[in-house]
Amino acid sequence: MTTVTLRNVRQRFGRTTALDDVSLDLDPGITGLLGPNGAGKTTLLRLVATVLGAEQGQLRLLDRDPSDDIQRTAIRRRLGYLPQEPGFHRQFTAFEFVDYVAILKEWTQRQARHVEVRRVLEIVGLGDVAGKRIKALSGGMRRRVALAQALLGDPSLLVLDEPTAGLDPEQRLRFRELISTHGDPGQRDGHPNAGGGAINSGRTVVLSTHQTEDVAALCGRVVVLDAGRVRFTGTPAELAGQAVERVWVAAERSAGARLAWRTGDGRHRCVGDPPAGAEMVAPTLEDGYLLLLGERALAVTA
Amino acid sequence: MTTWHADPGLLHRYATGDVDPSLAASLEAHVQACGRCRADIGGSVGDQRLARGLDGLLAAIDSPRPGPVESLLRRAGVPEHQARLLAATPSLRLSWLLSIAVALAFAVGTAHLARDPRAGVDLFLVIAPLLPLAGVAAAYGPGVDPTYDIGVAAPLSGWHLLLLRATAVLSTTTLLGTIGAVSLPGPGLVVAAWLLPSLALTLTSLALSTVLSPLRGAGIVAAGWLVLVTVGFTGQSPTLLTAPALQGAAGLAALFAVAVLIVRRRSFEVRGL
Repeated sequence: MTTVTLRNVRQRFGRTTALDDVSLDLDPGITGLLGPNGAGKTTLLRLVATVLGAEQGQLRLLDRDPSDDIQRTAIRRRLGYLPQEPGFHRQFTAFEFVDYVAILKEWTQRQARHVEVRRVLEIVGLGDVAGKRIKALSGGMRRRVALAQALLGDPSLLVLDEPTAGLDPEQRLRFRELISTHGDPGQRDGHPNAGGGAINSGRTVVLSTHQTEDVAALCGRVVVLDAGRVRFTGTPAELAGQAVERVWVAAERSAGARLAWRTGDGRHRCVGDPPAGAEMVAPTLEDGYLLLLGERALAVTA
Repeated sequence: MTTWHADPGLLHRYATGDVDPSLAASLEAHVQACGRCRADIGGSVGDQRLARGLDGLLAAIDSPRPGPVESLLRRAGVPEHQARLLAATPSLRLSWLLSIAVALAFAVGTAHLARDPRAGVDLFLVIAPLLPLAGVAAAYGPGVDPTYDIGVAAPLSGWHLLLLRATAVLSTTTLLGTIGAVSLPGPGLVVAAWLLPSLALTLTSLALSTVLSPLRGAGIVAAGWLVLVTVGFTGQSPTLLTAPALQGAAGLAALFAVAVLIVRRRSFEVRGL
């Protein structure tokens, strides 16, 4: 079942067109959004998180219409959202902050709420610092507090805007483990008003990232946005496949290379039109992405 | 030492919560003194229930002691979850309330110390309406609530949260303002002349926040108020602020702002509407 549908969505901010005639169908599982800065990833995620209303076009989320007040509330009961730059009430402890968001999510029964808050803090590895004030936590820990609030109630639709920004390698691995588990079908919906804790056919996770390796490791589907338009949808393997026979290594930067960089062994990895006799290598998802967007992609990998 | 022991079936029913309260109370009195029955009950409690109890206990330990504002609200009968929502309001923090009190004390002090007490009363009547306006503008919205986007994506209605916080801030600030007003040396009812303009300014600012950021809306309204009293004040002190025309206009502005707020309330639920 398709859980997120966008049809001909257009979104402008003043004279800037953030999304231009975007149509997408996302199924349960993990979808990664890639694109340079300003491609429209955050706008797309804010629409899917129901924070923004679509200026033009139609959205359907979890088989409901977010432009209808009652249906939008029903969607929000099954939604978790991590904004790109989450704000905090810094005088709160980590526990108080997540507890506060749990109240916004209608967990009014104190004990059940506290059990849930403790559960999500344990999941992100912050059980031991739950009583610390947010202003005393490191940037990475704050990011995990923000992630914890998004996981409250085991949401059916999880929208994560750059969830791995600011995490160290170990934390990123933990995040991948956590999200890959969350994307499994057959998990229980835990929101108190979500309709009796029904078993879902599968959860949908939509995340944006600047880390192509996160997409390669986690996502069953990848969407590449550029200048507000969808440039690619498919599997990570299909995106990597765009660069088959277009990636080679050479002692120097080759003339036909659209992009080339010196690697750790001193040789150059080149992406583009290979010269005759070039030593071809297997492309990665990043190669496919770079080839698709050319110079504009460097805004991501820089 | 006790010489009798409870029936195992009764203990099992107690462990599963299936006995009436009076029987449960007498059984608890016995179990406190009888180690064997305590052990039997322990065997009757399922792992899931034990885990739930442990989770609840750990969550209670983690749960921090509420701060002064939250404690006060809960003692005043505000439900626990609403007290937490209000405790996150920037303009209900002690530091904010203290600055309001200082501003009011300054105006009241000026009225007492000035050669012409009427000038001090006028100063109070100009300043006091701006304080609830500032408090409500800082209570909820983009740019003032750091968790605004997370809140918008949550099922709790933004409109209801706004009303909850605005009511709390307006009540608190109005109470402080009233304490200041009755401390003025001026004539009786004149010092109440700030109330209606205050309500009108606050509601107009909220109405503007449906199309602008709350701080920008409040800034425009505050600037408009200061221009109005400065222009209209010359040589008329203190008649402008207490004039029926001004009070009537304030009442109409308040009603109009309420109508705009009701019509535009969806803007608090989704951005860009």
